[in-house]
Amino acid sequence: MNSRIASILLPICGIGLVLLFWAGVSTQVPDLPSPLKTWQESKLYILEPLEKRGEMDQGIALLAYYSLLRVAKGFTLGIIIGTPLGFMLGLSKTFHKMFDPIVQVLRPISPLAWLPLGLVVFQKSEPAALFTIALCCMWPTVINTMSGVRSIPQEYWNVSRVLRLSRFQTFTKVLVPATLPYMFTGYRLSLGIAWLVIVASEMLTGTPGVGGFLWQEYNSLIYAHILLCILTIGIVGFCLDRMMAFVELKLQRSN
Amino acid sequence: MALVEVRDVSKSFQSRSGVREVLKSVNLSVEEGEFVSIVGFTGSGKTTLINILAGLLKPDSGTVHVAGKNVDRIHSDAAVVFQNYSLLPWFSAMENVRLAVGAAFPDWPRDKQLAHAKKYLEMVGLGGATHRRPSQLSGGMRQRVAIARAFAAEPAVLFLDEPFSALDALTRANLQEELVRLCSVVGRRVTTIMITNNLDEALLLSDQIIPMTRGPRATLSAPISVPIPRPRTPDQLLHDHGAVRIRAKVVEFLTDFIHTSPSRASARPVPGGQLSVMEEQA
Repeated sequence: MNSRIASILLPICGIGLVLLFWAGVSTQVPDLPSPLKTWQESKLYILEPLEKRGEMDQGIALLAYYSLLRVAKGFTLGIIIGTPLGFMLGLSKTFHKMFDPIVQVLRPISPLAWLPLGLVVFQKSEPAALFTIALCCMWPTVINTMSGVRSIPQEYWNVSRVLRLSRFQTFTKVLVPATLPYMFTGYRLSLGIAWLVIVASEMLTGTPGVGGFLWQEYNSLIYAHILLCILTIGIVGFCLDRMMAFVELKLQRSN
Repeated sequence: MALVEVRDVSKSFQSRSGVREVLKSVNLSVEEGEFVSIVGFTGSGKTTLINILAGLLKPDSGTVHVAGKNVDRIHSDAAVVFQNYSLLPWFSAMENVRLAVGAAFPDWPRDKQLAHAKKYLEMVGLGGATHRRPSQLSGGMRQRVAIARAFAAEPAVLFLDEPFSALDALTRANLQEELVRLCSVVGRRVTTIMITNNLDEALLLSDQIIPMTRGPRATLSAPISVPIPRPRTPDQLLHDHGAVRIRAKVVEFLTDFIHTSPSRASARPVPGGQLSVMEEQA
């Protein structure tokens, strides 16, 4: 019982301390809104989360929904490209030697660098944003799928050969089930990155969403809304990660 | 020509410290319906040999023929039981066996394949556990599934790679009996080649015992036939004069190899080698 009270009480204390620190800093920095001021100015967006007043002036849930939709599209695109790429890198030595250096070079490139290229290629902001999200978030999927394929024990390959499974059967009955837990770890990390990238891509393209709103409110000098957006991004990201962790756990249990 | 015919097979592996010759001119011929055990020390290249026989590995030189056909890939009439069960952990016992049935009899409808798989699982006493995953089965039960999987494909030749070595003594004895029974229940006698480091097991099951020399450059010596009438029991084998004599002969062979192998003799003293054979009998 004691530990249960502690597990509720301690995080509340932690939040309280951080709010106190925030309030303290806001008295020293004139432009930084205090927690109270942030709440007063953001109340409308939180209490009417689905209200649509203008293109950018919308409830926070609606803005988060736009961002999530964009992330879902980019993430799906990323894993559709990343998963087969990971399988090929894991299965073929030739392919691995040919493309692994390129993967390693492309991996650390920031979304801020990809986005202008996307705008040049696609001419429109929406496909450019998807392109950036997909390109930035696919790497953990590629790397994890690859190492999953490579760590399949020799005995499973032997079984597949002794049973004379066809290529397709080997793929569906051995390769995919054996790699699935690794793939999902990759998906979880990829989703995290996709959510990170969304803010940058919306800021630069000015599309409606949490990131777009954040940038617009900065330009309109309504700083309280910046904090509202930051908190929203954090909470949504946390929920996404928990969700993927839950699926991952289920998968590992069933194996 | 014998059903399984191995001529002059050699195999070496490249390692960082140089070339390691594992097998050197191995010859073997097994007649149809025979049960042959290859007995040798751990690490003498037994698994390499069975992998070559089963077509999982290519020999550097020499040929392997099964039923007159050159084994350059997996033979369609052979089944293998691995030492570590090698079941697919994401499938139920039933699906593991059905996969083998499906590969052996691709024309059968799914219902028939399932019924066939069930029949063999019942034969090894797992009729009630068909829907359990390997992780929910004990070691002995897993190996039963693996044996059912091998027999369900109704192979002409069965390769057993130390099939019982990972099991405790009691389970092992049970499964050995089970194997004897299966071989007779199936109707025709399945030609079987078993790799083992357990002499009692070899005496209990085989028509012929072939000692394998200690690696590197391991090879097979002349077969020793086991003319003890069946059915045999472990108790009987302890006292039967014929069995005692054969056991002595095999041990003599195995220890002789240590004497004649200078590189090993210095690395490992003779009593140690002999002891490991004795231990395995106990």
